[in-house]
Amino acid sequence: MDVVDQLGAVREGKLSRRKFTQGLLAAGVAMTTLPVSARRAAASGDEATFFTWGGYDIPELFKPYEAKNGALPNFSIFGGSEEALTKMRGGFVVDVSHPCNQALPRWVASGLFQPIDVTRLSNWSDVMPELVDLPGNAADGGNVWMAPFDWGQTSVTYRTDMFELEGEESWDMLWDKRYANRLGSLASGADAWWCGAIKAGVDFADIATDEAFEKIAAVMREQRPLIRTYTDDTTTLEQALSSGEMVAAMTWNSSATLLKSEGVPVKFAAPKEGALTWVCGVVIHKDAPNLDRAYDVIDSLLSVESGKFMINDYGYGHSNIKSFDEFDAATLQDLGLSKNPFEILEAGHFQQPQSQDWETRMNETFEQIKAGF
Amino acid sequence: MSDHGTYIKRPNRPLQIYAVIFLIVLYVPVLFIPLFSFNESIYVRFPLEGFTFRWYRELWTREPVWNALFNSIKVGACVAVISTILGVIAARAITRYRMPGKSALVTFIMMPLVIPGIIFGVALLVLLSRMGIPLTLYTVGLGHLIVCLPFAVATLLPRFEGFDPSMEEASADLGENGWWTFWRVTFPMVFPGVVASLLLTFTISFDEFIMAFFLTGTDPTLPMYIWGQLRFPQEFPSVLALSSLILFVSFILVFFAQWVGRMGLDEQNQEAL
Amino acid sequence: MSPTLAIMTVGILVPFIILLVISFWTRDGFGFDTTFTTNNYVRAWSEPIFGALLQRSFWISGVATLVTVLLCYPMAYYVAFHVHRNKMMWIILMTLPFWTSYLLRVFAWKVILGYEGVINSGLMTVGLIDQPLEFLLYSQEAVIITLAHAWAAFAILPLYVSLEKIDKSLLEAATDLGDGPVARFFRITLPLSMPGVIAACFLIFIPTTGDYITPALLGGPDGAMIGNFIQLQFGRVNNWPMGATLSIVLMLWISLIALVFLFITRKAQEKIA
Repeated sequence: MDVVDQLGAVREGKLSRRKFTQGLLAAGVAMTTLPVSARRAAASGDEATFFTWGGYDIPELFKPYEAKNGALPNFSIFGGSEEALTKMRGGFVVDVSHPCNQALPRWVASGLFQPIDVTRLSNWSDVMPELVDLPGNAADGGNVWMAPFDWGQTSVTYRTDMFELEGEESWDMLWDKRYANRLGSLASGADAWWCGAIKAGVDFADIATDEAFEKIAAVMREQRPLIRTYTDDTTTLEQALSSGEMVAAMTWNSSATLLKSEGVPVKFAAPKEGALTWVCGVVIHKDAPNLDRAYDVIDSLLSVESGKFMINDYGYGHSNIKSFDEFDAATLQDLGLSKNPFEILEAGHFQQPQSQDWETRMNETFEQIKAGF
Repeated sequence: MSDHGTYIKRPNRPLQIYAVIFLIVLYVPVLFIPLFSFNESIYVRFPLEGFTFRWYRELWTREPVWNALFNSIKVGACVAVISTILGVIAARAITRYRMPGKSALVTFIMMPLVIPGIIFGVALLVLLSRMGIPLTLYTVGLGHLIVCLPFAVATLLPRFEGFDPSMEEASADLGENGWWTFWRVTFPMVFPGVVASLLLTFTISFDEFIMAFFLTGTDPTLPMYIWGQLRFPQEFPSVLALSSLILFVSFILVFFAQWVGRMGLDEQNQEAL
Repeated sequence: MSPTLAIMTVGILVPFIILLVISFWTRDGFGFDTTFTTNNYVRAWSEPIFGALLQRSFWISGVATLVTVLLCYPMAYYVAFHVHRNKMMWIILMTLPFWTSYLLRVFAWKVILGYEGVINSGLMTVGLIDQPLEFLLYSQEAVIITLAHAWAAFAILPLYVSLEKIDKSLLEAATDLGDGPVARFFRITLPLSMPGVIAACFLIFIPTTGDYITPALLGGPDGAMIGNFIQLQFGRVNNWPMGATLSIVLMLWISLIALVFLFITRKAQEKIA
């Protein structure tokens, strides 16, 4: 419409004030839509979005991707896999995400993901079959839902100079009353509750029983007054351990490895009851907007380059068998790893998938315990 | 100011000291941000490890930081413009026309002021997910619009209340058309309110986190990005550097504006406030 | 009026209705069981954790509000009565720190209160303590201190405006009638600045009860507030209906507390008058 026409109409009283304000509003809407939609087309650059744990959003893991596509993928970070699944169920669309074996069947059941066509992955032939063969992972036609990527343990990282060991390394360290208020824990039940089960002596096969619930809840309640803080981010735990604010904390492999590289005297314990072990991997969203790039993300993560970084800098296991050829046996042992992952995974307690109801009940109970009830 | 009586003129020493201490306590935590932006270590902790400009240099290459900043600016600018336009419409209608249930309406518009952000955040999240609308910058903008509108209306209302409609009529009588009347009469009268509203709503949206937390999709706003960096610091010193720059620029802008508008404004403010 | 109203309706009413509806549903695996039930409300009422968390939230926010208003009042008073030149400069000086990201300000407090933080290392250098004080961080005190600092601007501005509006001749009159400074303050200044005090209380108390960032970063296990729990229901616990119920319960309590507060202040004002 012609602006002059409009002004004339206002003068002659043909265009009411209301129409005029509506025009004003339309102009406002136009102003909003214009820049944002222009940006959508330009800046997103059609790179894949990787929805992952904090710490995986780094260029070191995407060198092959960058070489092929000239840019890094976009990242979006979550602090726990339940949080991630909830957000995606709420309509958040990504290309690739990063669940662990224990959550896999529930992720698949949500219907939000598509099977991975393994023939499109150049590194697939080097992926260790033991890690692929997980409960609920097989899809039709020899395809899989999740391509395994990293594996590791949840255990106790402690200050060797401040924590006085009594006997063997054990989960009791995180229940040690001598260090009340100087112990830390991961906030997510997906780690803490399972570690509680190990401490309480509950077999993972029985973890869904009422009896197990009570036993685990009891040990978590016992631990709660000793804990300085529960946190979703490993940074808080790492900083607290490095400053001596905490003397021991529940962490994954990477925290101990990172702290050691900073010169902090810590050790990643091998508890006599066994550590909690897990395998994580990558899945593709069913509505992935950049499917080709999604496969590039996965292939990049499975590459030997990424594997070398994962083992050396984070102390995690990798799914590509060739990654381990870069290291000698002594180095691997020092990191608590081995070329035969199942040796490690089976020596610890391997997480088992549970139902959605169990997850909700467990999280509800654990949150109440953390809040002091 | 000479009409202030005798007792007020007397300086109050203890109160003066209190004011200085108050300002120091107010500023110390904030000044940590520029302080640590020059620190060499990636971890924010004492003791400081040495002076560096590295983070400022690296800032230019940190694309995610800039993306987050531009997302915030875009959302903030759009929210400021729309909420101010809507605010002008509402304030005009409220002051100009008689209508039933006017006070109830005003209360309704002001409601977001007295409801914690988390409740709006989850309510909008539930609504959007039921409707199958994906989370984008638009959803964040919608959330911010609701928080900002009451502020816009609250800043604009007093301007319109003090506005005499007969001025507009006089202008119309003198043969000016509607647009000219708005431009020459209405606009100058409400202009300070419009500027205040734009600034206020932009500032609120720019720093809003709680609703953004629930409504952000893949494109983070700056506060969302900072939240991620607080927990998994890959580029945290760059965030500190950027925030220091923002702080520095706002200082300059404010004092420049203050300096420019010194003469006239100072007297006006003394009377207006 | 109509576009503003339309946006506000879509933005406020519709989400609320959905929230209300969902609060009467039950979680069922990945979806919702939509049969009407008041179970969530029964749970919110009967399980002690929800009551206790609400109580704790109101306690923390209440103390933070009180501390903020008490600390800011003298400051606002100073600027309103004892600063004669450059008042605007003072106001800007007091609000500038709030232009930095809220998250970074909270984080700065973590650095100050931390185990190796400013306060602890300061006290240890002086020799007052030989072990770092542990209660400073990850405690309710930490949350209160941080909230009081972060919301100071929201107290100062309304307090200043209400104090500035007071007719100075009233104070003169009171002095002439033989009132000392204390009597003058309680008979004139305080009652006349009450609207500012009330506004400041509302502006701080209501948003802080729903806060979950500050407790999440600084609160530790004993500092968790209802906002953290609501956020968890929409996140990890994955029980949206319960989260909706808690949001509505929180809102009802806030309205109740606000009404009681208004009633008491009105009664008190009537008594003084």
